Amino acid sequence: MWKDLLVERRSKETLNALFFFALLLLFVFQFAVGPDRERLAGTLPGLLWLGFLLTGLLGLGRTFVVERENDCWEALRLAPGDKSAIYVGKLAGNLLLMFVVEAILVALFGIFFNLDLAGVLPALIVVIGLGTVAFAAVGTLFAAMTSQVRARELLFPVLLLPVQAPVLLATVKATEAVLLGEPLGSVAHWLKLLGAADVIFVTVGVLTFDFVLEG
Amino acid sequence: MPDNWGFVLLAYGLAAVVLIAYWRRLVRRERALETESRPAVRRT
Amino acid sequence: MFRVVGGLTLVALTAGLVMAFGVAPREVTQGNVQRIMYLHVPSVWVAYLAFAVVLVASIVYLARRLDGADRLAHASAEVGVLFTGLTIATGSIWGKPTWGTWWTWDARLTSVSILFVMYLGYLLLRGMIDDPDQGARYAAVLGIVAAFNIPLVHFSVYWWRTLHQPPSLMKPGPGTMPGVIVAALMVNFVAFSLLYVYFVAKRVRLLQREAEAAA
Repeated sequence: MWKDLLVERRSKETLNALFFFALLLLFVFQFAVGPDRERLAGTLPGLLWLGFLLTGLLGLGRTFVVERENDCWEALRLAPGDKSAIYVGKLAGNLLLMFVVEAILVALFGIFFNLDLAGVLPALIVVIGLGTVAFAAVGTLFAAMTSQVRARELLFPVLLLPVQAPVLLATVKATEAVLLGEPLGSVAHWLKLLGAADVIFVTVGVLTFDFVLEG
Repeated sequence: MPDNWGFVLLAYGLAAVVLIAYWRRLVRRERALETESRPAVRRT
Repeated sequence: MFRVVGGLTLVALTAGLVMAFGVAPREVTQGNVQRIMYLHVPSVWVAYLAFAVVLVASIVYLARRLDGADRLAHASAEVGVLFTGLTIATGSIWGKPTWGTWWTWDARLTSVSILFVMYLGYLLLRGMIDDPDQGARYAAVLGIVAAFNIPLVHFSVYWWRTLHQPPSLMKPGPGTMPGVIVAALMVNFVAFSLLYVYFVAKRVRLLQREAEAAA
């Protein structure tokens, strides 16, 4: 029960900060890429996922911050029952957080870059969903690991980003196609890769979380 | 098509330097450990 | 025992050099610069071998908690990163006269670069954890995640490179190469594999001695 309240409180403050960060990213992207509409159109899928990635790094990195700050790590370790349940719980929480942030970012992108998203929304949701699960699965696992390590703010992105490279390739390519109005079938191979990544990463996360939580 | 031996030499030279340097690092560290522990190990 | 392996390695490496420069003919399309291949391809083979060993050793460590497995994983990752770096460097050097540029985001160089940063992160993680048990556990988890990511990297990068751009590089596959070249390649494969074994064995012993000294 207390855990739920804690999560809710943390989520709200995290969400506010992340929303603000996402807004700032939008400004930065605009300044970096410039007012040239053509160039912008080409880079939009990449920028969108960069936005997800950067906000995600901040948000996911904090997954176990509460436990660490309040010295609850021991409590997590000694809690009875399957430790994997903790992983799944954290993953679910992170997914929720990411989806809210992503929804906000997509809306902001639509407004600021004047996109017509109405038709492509379902397909976009599929792509974003698949990509985010892979991201959050590894992110939650690594967040647990790095929370116990020196230089955790540095190590978390350093470990997470290379592992996310293939997922990033897939999601950007798929988003590109979706935003151009192409059917999901045209990027079926990318979607399959994302699906495979989701299965692999969640499975590895569930199986290895025990070992991260020990000692 | 020019032969570009310069590049070939560069590649092989780089490989040799790197591999030999790594080998020397291993040997040097092992020797350092041996001399450290020797006073305790000497029996004669 | 080390002397035997070391000696064998030296003999094999010499044989490899002889094959690469003395026996193998000057390649028809690329000229003598193609001889870099006898360095580049065995390097990438050793790198993959090394990371496969890391995967197995990591799983064994988590399952059985054998310190030897942990040391093997550590040593193999280190040697793997070494040869991955070598692969990238030799690939780049080969590329300059062949494609006119030091760097290109072709499938192999891109994949290998992702591998490089992943396992560099692995070594970084190990360096940042003081507690040997925790270090071993976390590294093992990372080793498993990284290894499962390798096929994802392969497919994503390959599709990224080939579905929107025709491959601009002629990479000789083993089927189309004359027998002498294949033979030279094989000799170098063996030589590099022996070098891998020698390095890993020495590194493992060094790790053991370091652990004993610290105890």
